[in-house]
Amino acid sequence: MIKNKEDNNNIEDSRVKVAFNQCSDCWGCHQSLLNAHLGLLPLLPALEIVYWPCVVDFKYKSLENREDGEILVGFIEGSLRTKQDVDAAKLMRRKCQLIIAFGSCSCYGNVHGLANESTLEQLTGRKFLEVESIADGSSRVPDKHVPEFEKNIIPLDNIIKVDAYMSGCPPKPEHIISSVLFLLGQKPFPVKESAFCNECPLNQEGCLLDKGQLCFGSITSSGCSIKCPTNGNACVGCMGPAKIVASKIDKLNSMTDNLSSMSSGDKKNLYEFLTLYLNLPLMAGFDLSGDILKQIKKKGIVSTSLPNLPSQAESITSKLLYYLRDNRDFHKISNVCDTCSRITHSKSTMTRVKRDYEGLPNLEDCFIEQGYICMGPVTNAGCGGMCINVNAPCTGCYGQTKWGVNQAERFADTILKQFNVSISKEELLSQVKDHIGTFEKFTLASNKEYKGGN
Amino acid sequence: MVKEIEVEPVTRLEGHGGLRLTLGDDGKVQDVQFNVTSTRFFEKFCEGRYCEHVPRITPRICGICPIPHHLTPTKAVEDAWNVKIPTPALKLRQLLMNAKQYSSHILHFYALAAPDFLLGPMADPALRNVVHVINKMPEVGAMAMKMMDFGQKLCAAIGGKSVHPISAIVGGMKKSLDEDIRDKFLKEIDEQIEFTKKTVEIGLKVVEDYWDVVANVGVVPTYYLGMTKNGIHDIYNGDIRIVTPEGKKIDYNVHNYLDALGEHIPEHSYATHMYYKPAGYPEGIYRANCLAMINAADKMATPLADDALKAFRDKVGQISHHTFAYHWARLIETVEAIELIKKYLEDPDICNPDCKTLDIEPREGQGIGVTEAPRGLLLYHIWSDAQGICKKLNLLVATNHNIAGIEKSLMHVAKQIFEDKALEGLKLPDPWIK
Repeated sequence: MIKNKEDNNNIEDSRVKVAFNQCSDCWGCHQSLLNAHLGLLPLLPALEIVYWPCVVDFKYKSLENREDGEILVGFIEGSLRTKQDVDAAKLMRRKCQLIIAFGSCSCYGNVHGLANESTLEQLTGRKFLEVESIADGSSRVPDKHVPEFEKNIIPLDNIIKVDAYMSGCPPKPEHIISSVLFLLGQKPFPVKESAFCNECPLNQEGCLLDKGQLCFGSITSSGCSIKCPTNGNACVGCMGPAKIVASKIDKLNSMTDNLSSMSSGDKKNLYEFLTLYLNLPLMAGFDLSGDILKQIKKKGIVSTSLPNLPSQAESITSKLLYYLRDNRDFHKISNVCDTCSRITHSKSTMTRVKRDYEGLPNLEDCFIEQGYICMGPVTNAGCGGMCINVNAPCTGCYGQTKWGVNQAERFADTILKQFNVSISKEELLSQVKDHIGTFEKFTLASNKEYKGGN
Repeated sequence: MVKEIEVEPVTRLEGHGGLRLTLGDDGKVQDVQFNVTSTRFFEKFCEGRYCEHVPRITPRICGICPIPHHLTPTKAVEDAWNVKIPTPALKLRQLLMNAKQYSSHILHFYALAAPDFLLGPMADPALRNVVHVINKMPEVGAMAMKMMDFGQKLCAAIGGKSVHPISAIVGGMKKSLDEDIRDKFLKEIDEQIEFTKKTVEIGLKVVEDYWDVVANVGVVPTYYLGMTKNGIHDIYNGDIRIVTPEGKKIDYNVHNYLDALGEHIPEHSYATHMYYKPAGYPEGIYRANCLAMINAADKMATPLADDALKAFRDKVGQISHHTFAYHWARLIETVEAIELIKKYLEDPDICNPDCKTLDIEPREGQGIGVTEAPRGLLLYHIWSDAQGICKKLNLLVATNHNIAGIEKSLMHVAKQIFEDKALEGLKLPDPWIK
């Protein structure tokens, strides 16, 4: 792991310096981080927060006064809308060794990128000159002691080098924590002696491994309160490694010998396991994994970043990492559908495109087959399907799985191939009146093919 | 020599802003500016979107109060298309609003405001934050986190996501609450009520400790903007209520908002200045948010909160201009929120799957939706075409209602500090955390 630069003033302080900067944003990624609540407690003592305007009182000057490269990790949240945003991003790049694009705004521009459809004059005109509630003839574009606007929302990586992307609007708290811990080379939870299997209600009867499900309870620490297998869901290792593995490990070991025929449910679990147990922040749309894979390739060895992992657990996780190495696009080809429990090839078929306000989708069948536009098949996995769980189709906030193509056409091609859809591509595309707002509202600013706006 | 004091950025603030204070040779305060330094033009780029998609875009205006930014545009579209929603949907939305009110108010009290009081205003800036509070007062810190966690988890259970929810749809809600999930929250509700009572105790102790500050610093008469339903405090449904500096209450139907609320575009802030139109600018500058809501309400919606309101009025009077009383007012609202959460959780309707009107036709027209977000009144005015595409949008956003009021109170306090040297004679308590 990357070590913090030696701090001469305080050699004993082993905390890692981190900075959070907010560009034009909504605060939501920070709220999401704070949503970890008690989960933050193991993390806080490891961090020296040197800049985080929404929580601590350090001013911009104090960031400017730090030495270049003094801070280990810098999180940049928000879109680049103003010159001040651009300057702050450059300053963060100078002061931090690693820059993480924190959330879909800094990854892709987010919905603010829809503003790139309009000229700056149209944008400021609507807000400051034309709005109905201006009542005293004061129409003007403010220009005193406020930073100038950029003409467009600019993708962060057009301005500075980004080391890792953590998408999501917002990224989930557990993924933020997991990513930070990965960077710090630590695991949040106290690792207990015994494994989850020993306290699993299905230990004696109905073990998920026996049913052929990839369940990681035998190498995972006990002490959890949720006990996923009770609800038929495999243990995905979120408590971290156990010191002593359980006997079921033999079964798990033999199952991991052949990973190529995994079911989609197992694939989802593998995803979560890699994130939660090994701290590989894949689930967060965290592209640093690309770099990890390069390192694995170069060195030819695969090992976890976890010290003192029991040898049997190390052997299983190594197999998973090898699988990851040999399937380099593993995280790229996974999309929201992989984590969705709805039935495809259901009794429903899309015969026309429905608007979201029409009727109410049933809770079982695929949204698309019920006629609704759901961006799941073309959106990066990572969210766990939170929208789908409350009966709302995916709108794509984790970013698209492929770039540089016409997103509307790609969506149509994909769903015609994969789902019960009985209308033609042309019909589908003509029935959706708002292509940009439907198919790429989170990523417009970053879509290289996009030629609109000014 | 003219001296400029700059604070960049203002910290523990949701949003982006700096302060600029100009002092003349004579030591007099010449100017105070609150510079809000960014805006993202949601009003413009929502044009051309499906009206029903607007509530899935606009929560990104604010990650702290995305729930009002989800429900208010939904209400506006329902108003424009003349759509009625089933009772279970209405109750789910009110529960969702109060869950947000609860977690946001607790976040504000403990994470944003408390460091000032618990460490005292003279504390080292490096330590004056919630992380230090948690380290020094772990029990209070753990309680605060359990409270925020409860509110945020309830938001997520109903809204799908606590930050940027998705479950409301024109015509109601996409899904009602599952009974087993409801039961989990019901199990915790009494503990949360106890936490709230403890928080009120801490809050009242702070008010008592700092009474000299509350009563003498930043007492600024302004107008107030709130929302009530038949005079009762309400954050989801109701009329706009203006309170004059003398305490007179004037109600406006939300459809007549343009008669009451005017916008002034300052030279120095991207967040505009709002004022009470009949009084003109700057005379009609008002403040919003909890103190305004408390000043506007004849009574609170629940018994414990109403008792708390009476105690508040016994101490500060029928109308309070005390800027530092915002914290107290916020706690009164917190009590109401947790009482209402309990009320709705106990209502079987929130698990009723009949939570969406199925037959909906878009139509050409305008609609207005209003709620009270945790930082102030939130108003969406949407124009729909016959296909249900958004032609135009006007937003009066919660924090925006306070910008002019904040600047006005800053000027007042700057004069107190730099001209009257008010701080010197002020009685400050020993900080709880040293």
